[in-house]
Amino acid sequence: MTAQPPATSAEEPWPVRTVARKIAAWIERLGAVWVEGQLTQVSARPGSSTAFLVLRDPAADVSLGLTAPTSMVRGAVPPLAEGARVVVHGRPSYFFGRGTLSLRVDEIRPVGVGELLARIERLRALLAAEGLFDPARKRRPPRLPRCVGLITSRASAAEHDVLTVASARWPAVRFRTCNTPTQGAQAVAEILDALTALDRDPDVEVIVLARGGGSVEDLLPFSDEALCRGVAACRTPVVSAIGHEPDTPLVDHVADVRAATPTDAAKRIVPDLAEETAHLAQLRRRAHRALHAWVEREDAALAALRRRPVLADPLGPIAAREDAVAGLRARGRQVLDAGLTARDADLRHLTASLTALGPAATLARGYAIVQHGDAVDAPVLRSAATPSPGDHLRVRLADGAVHAVVRAEPEPG
Amino acid sequence: MGETEEPGYEQARDELAQVVARLEAGGLSLEDSLALWERGEALARLCERHLAGARERVETVLHEAGADEEGPARG
Repeated sequence: MTAQPPATSAEEPWPVRTVARKIAAWIERLGAVWVEGQLTQVSARPGSSTAFLVLRDPAADVSLGLTAPTSMVRGAVPPLAEGARVVVHGRPSYFFGRGTLSLRVDEIRPVGVGELLARIERLRALLAAEGLFDPARKRRPPRLPRCVGLITSRASAAEHDVLTVASARWPAVRFRTCNTPTQGAQAVAEILDALTALDRDPDVEVIVLARGGGSVEDLLPFSDEALCRGVAACRTPVVSAIGHEPDTPLVDHVADVRAATPTDAAKRIVPDLAEETAHLAQLRRRAHRALHAWVEREDAALAALRRRPVLADPLGPIAAREDAVAGLRARGRQVLDAGLTARDADLRHLTASLTALGPAATLARGYAIVQHGDAVDAPVLRSAATPSPGDHLRVRLADGAVHAVVRAEPEPG
Repeated sequence: MGETEEPGYEQARDELAQVVARLEAGGLSLEDSLALWERGEALARLCERHLAGARERVETVLHEAGADEEGPARG
């Protein structure tokens, strides 16, 4: 059959059966396929030979009707129930009478826990190889977020734990909560919607993804590829708090922070008010002490400087100089004194010699010096023949002088 | 010959030391040694004036510091 639109017109329309037949043929060209999904409806009544199921894509809002033999559905081991993950083999089938489409399934295999875990492990390796788990990608949530985004199921223990523990630590904390299913076929799509909405909100500075413990199947949405990629793409830091300690769904690796439980998450997203207050008080005390110690050190240093001689005894150097000057002066006087004394002694010595050499001693022995005339400086008379009778004479004796007149002629000596 | 300014303390003191050294060396005439000694005495008196001035400045500051310490206590 060609891909060209068939030749019909308003005047030459096809009958319904022709169109139905052509559609059926077209659809059946797809052939047999293996499909994986999650059962959201299982209806296998004993009275009917055909069972009807709905297979939903866990990561998208898409589902497909299935038909299968009732016996196959009822005889499945383990029993097929809503929420079960299965792999089915079937052909698309167009039901003439109703004009409905479904997949006519001839084999249904449950995806076992082992297979699920193996799939999760393969996905883990893939995402790790892509670098989505890289520690360098992880953003640190702010110490005190303006608003905390919370994705959790309505009225769950997880929601209660996060809200009460966080509020106890920091009473002023604000939350924006999005309640979504946290298991089952709708979970991934709704969680992704919530993530997008919270990420877009500029007030929300950290997002917490929280749910309590559960089976492998229950926690499957948190190892879903679309969910993990969604969390990785989030610009707001995401805290993952899924299940209990041993559970590590893949989203734990992708998230910016992994908390062991919802309570643990609450402790990591806000600081503890009491602790912060006490810490602040302690810092204050330390600052005071440090300042106090600094002041005391400076005080002590100043006191030590003040005690140094140059400050404590400012007159000392002056007194020392005064002593030095006095010393110099004393030496000067001493030298001069010694010089004068020496000269004095010298003088006395010379005088004594002079005296010894002079006429005083001779006069004392009774000799006289006779001068020819009355004057003190009259010439000394050395010869008896010199004066004539009547001349005046001055006679110098040891203790004075007498005046005499020559009476007679000299007598021979 | 004469200085327009009085020599400072160090200058006077140094010259005094020189004077004393020359006197001690001896060999000077009476007139010279007398003149030199008189110069020395004048220098010594000058040094003493400088040091007395220094003393007075120190004592003034110490006195003011003492008054400061008493002041606030009274207030």
